[in-house]
Parts: sequence; C-alpha cells; structure tokens
Amino acid sequence: MFEFQVIINGLLLGGLYALMAIGMSLIWGVTNVINLAHGALIMLGAYTTFWLFKLLNIDPFVSLAISFTTLFVFGFLVQKYIINFVIRAKMFITLLLTFGLDILITNVAQTAWTSNFRQTSPAYSANGFSFGFITVPYVRLSAFIISIILVFALYIFLKKTKTGQAIRAVSQDIDAARLMGINVAKTFALTFAIGSGLAGVAGSMIGVLMPITPQMGGIFTLKSFVVALVGGLGTIFGPLVGGLFLGLAETLGSFHLGAKYADIIVFGILVLTLIVKPTGILGKNDE
Amino acid sequence: MRKIVAVFVMFLVVGSVALLSSCAPKQKTPSVIKFGAAVSLTGKYAREGKFYKDGYLLWEKKVNDSGGIKVNGKSYKVKVIIYDDESNPAKSQKLYEKLVTEDKVNFLVGPYSSGITIPDSSIAEKYKIPMIEGGGASGKIFSRGYKYIFGTLPAAGNYFKNTIEMLHMMTYSSNNSNKVTKVAIVHSDSAFDNAVANGAAHWVKAFGLRLTGVQEYPSGSNDLSSILTTIKKNNPDVILVAGHTHDALLFIRQAKENKVNAKLMAFTVGVQAVDFREALGKDADYMVGVTPWLPSMNFKGEVFGTAAEFAKTFKDAYGYSPDYHAASAVADALTFQHAIAKAGSLDPKKVRDAIASLDVQTMYGEIKFQANGQIAKGQAVIQVQNGKAYPVFPKQIAQKKLLYPAPSWDKR
Repeated sequence: MFEFQVIINGLLLGGLYALMAIGMSLIWGVTNVINLAHGALIMLGAYTTFWLFKLLNIDPFVSLAISFTTLFVFGFLVQKYIINFVIRAKMFITLLLTFGLDILITNVAQTAWTSNFRQTSPAYSANGFSFGFITVPYVRLSAFIISIILVFALYIFLKKTKTGQAIRAVSQDIDAARLMGINVAKTFALTFAIGSGLAGVAGSMIGVLMPITPQMGGIFTLKSFVVALVGGLGTIFGPLVGGLFLGLAETLGSFHLGAKYADIIVFGILVLTLIVKPTGILGKNDE
Repeated sequence: MRKIVAVFVMFLVVGSVALLSSCAPKQKTPSVIKFGAAVSLTGKYAREGKFYKDGYLLWEKKVNDSGGIKVNGKSYKVKVIIYDDESNPAKSQKLYEKLVTEDKVNFLVGPYSSGITIPDSSIAEKYKIPMIEGGGASGKIFSRGYKYIFGTLPAAGNYFKNTIEMLHMMTYSSNNSNKVTKVAIVHSDSAFDNAVANGAAHWVKAFGLRLTGVQEYPSGSNDLSSILTTIKKNNPDVILVAGHTHDALLFIRQAKENKVNAKLMAFTVGVQAVDFREALGKDADYMVGVTPWLPSMNFKGEVFGTAAEFAKTFKDAYGYSPDYHAASAVADALTFQHAIAKAGSLDPKKVRDAIASLDVQTMYGEIKFQANGQIAKGQAVIQVQNGKAYPVFPKQIAQKKLLYPAPSWDKR
C-alpha cells in the first residue's frame, strides 16, 4: 500500500528530474558544453514565474510560455556573446566559463532579490486527488505530463523540421554540417536558447513545488548532470528514462534504506553507469 | 669610493624609512577596539549571514554614536572587520586566522552555522583570543574543553526541550482530548541538526512520550516524500523537524501534497522568520517553532533598551525586522562590551574571564554562560496563528494559547 505511494512519488519526482535535465542534455549533446549554469537558469525561470504570479497574478501554467521565451532570449544572448568565443576550446575552458556564469547569475539574483525564501503559491498548489490511500498532487502530475510532452515535442522538432535537422547535423559533425551550408554559430546559439528556455519551464514548475532562493540552482545542476549522463547523452529520450529511473531509485531507496542514503544511491548509480555503460541507458555503444 | 658612498647613503635612506614606518603606528596608539568576523555573504547561508553582518554593524554604529567604550577612563571607538566566508568552513577558518594574525583584531565574533563555527572556534583557542558567537548551537563546539569560545544560542540538544515539556504537560494533565502519544523526529545530517535530534530523542523519552522513529536526510535534499510516507505509515501525533529553513518549507509543502496530517509539527528554524511565513501563506498557520528571542519578549538592557525598541532601531536601519539570528549577533557584541567594561582592560585573558563570570540583562535576555561556554538560556515555543508568530510556552511569556490539535489539511 505505502509501496504504491512511494512508486507514484518516485515517478512524479522522476518526471521533474526529466524536465530539469532536457535542456542540459540537449546543450551538452549538441554543443559539447556542460552547462554548469543550468541550475542558475532554472532559478531564473522560478523567479520569472514567481514575480509574474506575485505582482501580476499570472497563473504559473500561463507564465510557462513567458518563462520559456525569457530564458530562450537570455540563453541565445549568453551563447552568442559569451560562450561562443570559447566554443571550440577545450571542454575545461567552457566548464570554467559556465561555472563563472553560474556564480555571476546567482550573485546578481541575490543582489536583486535578496536571499529570502519565496514560493509560488497558487490556490491549488500542494492540492491533489486521492484514490484509496494514494494521493497524487496536481502540480507534480502536471510537471510530469509537461516533461513528457516536451520530450516528444523536441523529438518531432529535431526529426521533422529543417532547423531541427540542422541541429542534429551540427551535433554529428560540425565540419560536414558547415560544408552543407549550415550556419554553425547560429545553430549553437539556437540550441543554447532552446535548452535555456526548457530550463526556464523546469524552473517555473519547481518554484511551485519547492522553496525559491538565488542559491537553489546548485543541486539542480548536479541532478540534471546525473540524469543526462545516466539516461544517455545525445539521445532525445535519455533525460526521460534517466529521470524516471533516478526518481524511482531515490524514493524507493530512501523509503527502504533510509532517506540519508538518497545521495549515496543517486551518485552510486552515476558511478556504476560510468563503469558499466558510460554512454548511459539509451546511449549507443559503438564509439 | 663613490660606489661605496652611494651604497652607504642608500642604506641610510632605506634604514630611516623603515625606522619611520615602524614608528608611525606606535605614535597614534590605537584608540579603536577591533572586532573581527567572517560571515556568509554568498553561498547557501547568505541569507542568515546577512543577519549577523547587519547585527554587528548596527552595534558598531550604536556604540560609536554614543561615544564608544570606556576602558580605564579612556574612550575607544569600535570597529568590526567583516569578511565573506562564502558559506565554506575551510575558507572561514582561514579568514579568522587572517583576522587574528594580519588584522590584529582584539576580539572575535562568530560566523553562522555550527558546521562553520566548529573549526573557527579552534582559531580562537589557538591564539587565545575570545570569540563569542551567536550562529552555532551544536554541543560539539563546547564539548572540547575550549576556554575561549562562548555561544549565545541555547544548546542544540535542548532546542526542543520546552516543546516536549509542553507536550508532556498536555498529555499528563486532566484534559483528555490533548493527549500526545507518538512523536516522530526528522533531521538533516548536519552537525547541528544531529545534535538537536539526539537531544530531542532524549527528552521525548525523559518526558514519558513514545518515539516512533528518527529519520535522517541529506542536507539540502529536494525531495522528502519517502520520509513523509514512512511518517504516514507510523501515524505520529507530533513531528519534530530539525533542518534548515529550506528543508522546513519543503517539508510542509510536501506534507500537504502527501496529506500527512499531524496534530502538531514543530521546526527548529523557519517559523520565526517573516519570509518563511510569507512563502507559505495560510499553510504556515499552526506550525510550531522555537526561538530564544522575539521582539515581543519582555527583555531589557542598557544599550538598546527593550527587545521591541531594539527591533525598531534595527528595522529603521535595514528596512526589515530582526529575528533571533540578528538579535543573537548583537548579543555577542554586547557581551564583549559588558565584559570589557567589567574587566577594565583589553587583555584577552582578562576579558575572557570577565565573560565567563558575566551576568547581565540585555535586550536579548539574561546573558550568563555555563561552564562549557554556552549560554544558560532556554527556548520559547512559538506558534503561527493567522500569519503571526506568538509565544505559547512557557507560561510566563505566553501571549496566546497553543492551538492543538491542528486541523487536517483539507479542513483549513
């Protein structure tokens, strides 16, 4: 009985993890940049929704689109005017740069909005429906559904549209893509913009579920990193599979072994993945 | 020959400059007492760190505006040097070492959080410079026989003592409806919260209540659903949570999501703070917390007047109301002020002895230390009622009656 509740909680948490990781996985897979500022972008998404709700009373689900657009533009500019200068450098350099961006964004947010705790609290937040002993919170279920919709939307975008195909081409072979007439710099900027926009959406949802502070991003960068790696880098469905897997492992492990082992379980899975199948659950083994 | 003269002249010049510069500071003997602190202005404790910085600086301004501190008839201004430890214990320890060895501060006031205070207290002990801190309450700070560390937060192990005593009195009084049988404890894996939980477990048993379980989670966790499911299974009347503000907020939100209804939920940190109550809105009602200080408590001292007057001074200066963090920061500095006056000296050893035997009334309440250096003060129990926090226990300071049991989530 309680087992079911834990599994439901695990799946819902997994959906949230997937939502967080889609953007990071996309950027990583295409541009080979591990964006350590990903959590900071999630934080910006959370604040966008929070302020729109608090000041203009805009429902968090409506502001998803605004949050996506804001972060889309932000990500585009950051890639075009900052990251693009080192995009061809060694991964260590881009790591350092995004690490610096993370600190910068976090501290600007702290100066602007203080470190006070905030929460987007529409009337329905934390409410849910029950059947028998199982409860399912509305917002978590919505986040779960949104993350599935986004993964499929991304799939269609990358497979069917010209821009999407250009993104895939660039991720496979930059030089060949350039020879085919693809504007690589623009494609990178667009990829970064989409990834950031997705982080914004994740932030909007997280702000309704968890406390918002400028420092909230760190743990999300870490979790997204693990989810992206475990699910399989460069695969579209990787974040979803990795997210659900980790969400379930974390809640089931916490319930049976004790919550203090949650981190050990999550990072244990990461280490095991790197040893047994470094390309992740969905990754191909041929490289 | 000319070369030798040139070298000689050069030596003369260098020597005299060196002599002059070494004389210069001696000529104006410092009429300033320097205090040093490293607090978290960035990183995960940035929010609380600011309270300490603001508290120390408010005291500095207040003292200097009213003529400074008199030691043996001579007036001194005070200066508090503050660095940012980035919420990092190793960095904090280095900064305290720098404060002592390079900035040559006379005295130290503390950082925020037990985890950071533990290594820092070793610096105070090593250089025999007294440190008074209001940011760490873990017993580990005071259990090593150190002589130069003093704390103004009540002992971690006693954080929930008054809360549990209150539950005990309800259970064993004649009124049958308010019995408490089962208590669950949830805590983070930080040094401080471990100490709180161990103490709470002790008091639950000592006061004749039943413990259904103690659950630990990693600090900064973003999902507490499994803990809540276990709690739902055990169905306790009371849940005691020892964690940081973030954890308390998450716990309440997820308790509501999972429809976990306890008759009382108590938290070490959070309930006292305005932003906590604002973030939760109506969900904050009925939540119980503990605090060594509230503006409404009937404390009074020389420098800042009553607790309420202090709160007003603070709010006028910074635009937000102080909670117990800021008050205990000011209490640290105030303690030095009283101890220096009592010792009539700036000698670290003499001031240290004066602190150890001090007993004064301040806007933070009575400042008197136990033999291990920790303050002998208790925690009041507070409860949020209609969005405001009121003391409900002990009786002498209670302003409202405890609302118990809390209604279930769907009936609010």
